[in-house]
Amino acid sequence: MKKILSLSAFLLGTALAGPANNSLVVGTSQEPPNVLDYWATNNLAISTEVNNYMAAALIGIDNEGDLYPEIAATVPTLANGGYKVVKNAAGDVVRNSVTYTIRPDAKWSDGRAITPADFQFWLKVQNDERVPVPDRDPWENAKITVADKDTFTITYDPPYLFADQVSPSAAPAHIMNAAWNAFDAATKNQKDAKAVNEQWTKFIGQFTTSRNLPKVVSGPFRPTSWRPGNSLSMTRNPNYWRKPQGGEDKYVQTVTYRFIPNTNTLKVNVLSGQIDAVSSVGLTFDQALDLQRSARNKFNVYFVPGAVWEHIDVNTRSPKAKDLDLDDPRMRQALLLSIDRDALVKALFQGRQPVSNNFVNPLSRVYNENVRDYNLNVAQAKQLFTQLGWKPGSDGILEKGGKKLILSFGTTAGNTTRERVQQILQNQWKQVGVQVNIQNYPASVFFGPDFLSKGQEGKWDLAMYAWTANPIFEQGDLFKADGIPTAANGYSGQNYSGWNNAEYNRLHKQALTEFNLADRIKLMDRMQTLWSNEVPSLPLYFRANPYTKVPGLVNYTFSAYSLYPSWDAYRIGWASRGAVEVNKQK
Amino acid sequence: MATYAFRRVLQMIPLLLVISLVIYLLTSLQPGDPVDQLTFGNPRITPEDIARLKAAYGLDQPWWTRYLFWLRQALQGDLGFSRDFNIPAVQFIFQQRMPNTLLLTVPALILSTLIAVPLGIYSAIRQYSLPDYVLTFLSFVAFSAPVFWVGAMALYFFAIFLPNATGGVISLPPGGLGGDVPPEAGWWAVALDKLRYLALPLMILMLREVAVTTRFMRASMLEVMTQDFIRTARAKGLPSRRVLYKHALRNALVPILTIMGLSIPGLFGGAVITETVFSWPGMGKAILDALVSKDFNVVMVSLMLLSVLTVVFQLVTDLAYAVVDPRIRYS
Repeated sequence: MKKILSLSAFLLGTALAGPANNSLVVGTSQEPPNVLDYWATNNLAISTEVNNYMAAALIGIDNEGDLYPEIAATVPTLANGGYKVVKNAAGDVVRNSVTYTIRPDAKWSDGRAITPADFQFWLKVQNDERVPVPDRDPWENAKITVADKDTFTITYDPPYLFADQVSPSAAPAHIMNAAWNAFDAATKNQKDAKAVNEQWTKFIGQFTTSRNLPKVVSGPFRPTSWRPGNSLSMTRNPNYWRKPQGGEDKYVQTVTYRFIPNTNTLKVNVLSGQIDAVSSVGLTFDQALDLQRSARNKFNVYFVPGAVWEHIDVNTRSPKAKDLDLDDPRMRQALLLSIDRDALVKALFQGRQPVSNNFVNPLSRVYNENVRDYNLNVAQAKQLFTQLGWKPGSDGILEKGGKKLILSFGTTAGNTTRERVQQILQNQWKQVGVQVNIQNYPASVFFGPDFLSKGQEGKWDLAMYAWTANPIFEQGDLFKADGIPTAANGYSGQNYSGWNNAEYNRLHKQALTEFNLADRIKLMDRMQTLWSNEVPSLPLYFRANPYTKVPGLVNYTFSAYSLYPSWDAYRIGWASRGAVEVNKQK
Repeated sequence: MATYAFRRVLQMIPLLLVISLVIYLLTSLQPGDPVDQLTFGNPRITPEDIARLKAAYGLDQPWWTRYLFWLRQALQGDLGFSRDFNIPAVQFIFQQRMPNTLLLTVPALILSTLIAVPLGIYSAIRQYSLPDYVLTFLSFVAFSAPVFWVGAMALYFFAIFLPNATGGVISLPPGGLGGDVPPEAGWWAVALDKLRYLALPLMILMLREVAVTTRFMRASMLEVMTQDFIRTARAKGLPSRRVLYKHALRNALVPILTIMGLSIPGLFGGAVITETVFSWPGMGKAILDALVSKDFNVVMVSLMLLSVLTVVFQLVTDLAYAVVDPRIRYS
């Protein structure tokens, strides 16, 4: 019978997906290099999305940005005493701590209880100098003390601003400890960092690769097969403790990620009904708009407001920048007032990617909506150019002191959306007498060590790219003076425009240690006003994340807070199989 | 001939060393490194973090030091780990990607040769006839059409248009490697499933191969047919079939053999565009991805493999000339 069923499916050319066998097939354009590397030595979005199916969080963040307990019994807060802030005599916060109690029924997929030792193990490895984690913030200042078999406290000294919003991970100590000890012994006296890293690769490779799938998991699904370059399948973990309404048998039992690197091929897969949903890492915006026209109730296309901010950095610190007044806020304001961003987002994105006037995401609690609105205002822009002494030459290009206002405008070559934006803006700037020469570079050059960070050398005037920021953790880091890349700091930091505002810097430092949210909001309000008045970057729009899913698939949703549709994996299911819809996609 | 072959094998050693040096140098000259990718977009990263990561990946050393380290390890049989996949680079290439590539390229080469050689002969012996014009035109079109465009058209036709038109009876999957059928369905069902996924990329890959080989075969046959020894054979009164297959074909195959010999390393290298369009996880895509993500060990293993295959198959081709053409001797 099975053979007949398989053959029928084969002849009909349909994937064995959907409600018929209560499974879910997700298409994505990226393959994670490895899965369940608890120390995230690669920081790819697809890794986090896939890991969410398999790793439970102590405390999670839902679509509204609210915290919910998963491994923990409750969310620790100031009100319930779980979150504590310790101040000195002067009233400054000197350390803070969060106490978590693990749910009694929280267990690994092999049935072993999740204990504080698993969190201690994770933190020990995270902070080990031999482990190539990208950064250790805030864990390098964190210590775990165990109260009893279910309860532990994590203390941050110096204090961490978002201590109540983050939680440490758990790694299965009973599974990984022996291998970790072997790594420890093999690298104890090893001075060569590369040799140590190879040992690390061997250690982590025992638990995270296609040939060595994770031995145990804490999340609602466990990996069952990974065919490199093709697909990764996960099945429901019977030992997962949270049970969806009506029983887990009414929800998806198997999730398969299909890796389809070519996004056009991914689009054809959507059209041909081979996949039930697209991952948050998949379609381009254009393709999603195009798919929307062909949906015909076979699938729905969603555009989820995101936290990715498209903008144009203005180089304010090269000799050329000074010659062309790019270091004067009025010039940057004039450049921004000369372009019609509303028309741009309507023309290219059907208005689904909203224009921004601010670097802070509107979803953030510290967002200031009262910053200056830079709607197209050519008269005002021309007035500012005139104030600065720029007058149209015989060819219509603005001139001053024998110099013409000609700017080089770069972005990542091959990104068709950005290239189209460039062409529209180039034309709009031409109307006011600013000549913009497009000069694009491959992403490896653009983001490489010799381009953006070398603004002082005048390698670019305008640079268009995007930043991703979680709205919860916004603290204005992108524009701090310490972040200006210079030879002295080894060209680290990401304040590429080189904007340096003393008041902003002071407020930023103050906000970093302001633990009272209402007071921090006031500081951040002023920082955003300062930034908006001087616009060191020309804000364009916040990107929306497009994806598709077929009707009837419920609880496959996300937001700029939860970030990935896998955040509530245990409740993903088919309405026709009895799954109850709890989260609606906004 | 054995001495000649032995001498050529010895010559390969310094050649491959130089190739490895050039590949390593060119790879190292690429702007940026893996740490840039880890750190970009993370304003929390500190200069100390960057220095630590560069040391961990050996990027704090000059390229020649890294090359010598790689060479020393390689001579001991250790070709390093894939930084992206946390498995040995050799395992990634030989176990995960090369089988997929060979599954696609070997049938493509065999089938296209089996189709193209008779077509080329047919076209040549009926020069300037209607079938010749048709074949020449079609191979010109197939040769000239961009693979990504033909691939995209095929995807839409077989994965969307035909299923809609036939109510799903005729349908080919739009990319991937297969796996819809569980192993317990039996080997034949699994094989048929694989074949369905293979069909489109194979077809597209073959289209170009057939076009190229047909044109070469036709040209080669036409050239041989005008040679004196063919005229002599005809003058001696040999039957036309014997002249064609015994005398002309054998000589006309020499350039085809050259093309095939040189295309064999390409079989292992994969077909980047075809693999990309159809999301076929083969070598071509792997090399491209490794270059982009700067997974140096994977780049070295795959490009060195292709280099070795190229020099080996050049030797094999040279030796094969002597078998096909009795006038060639390596003594």
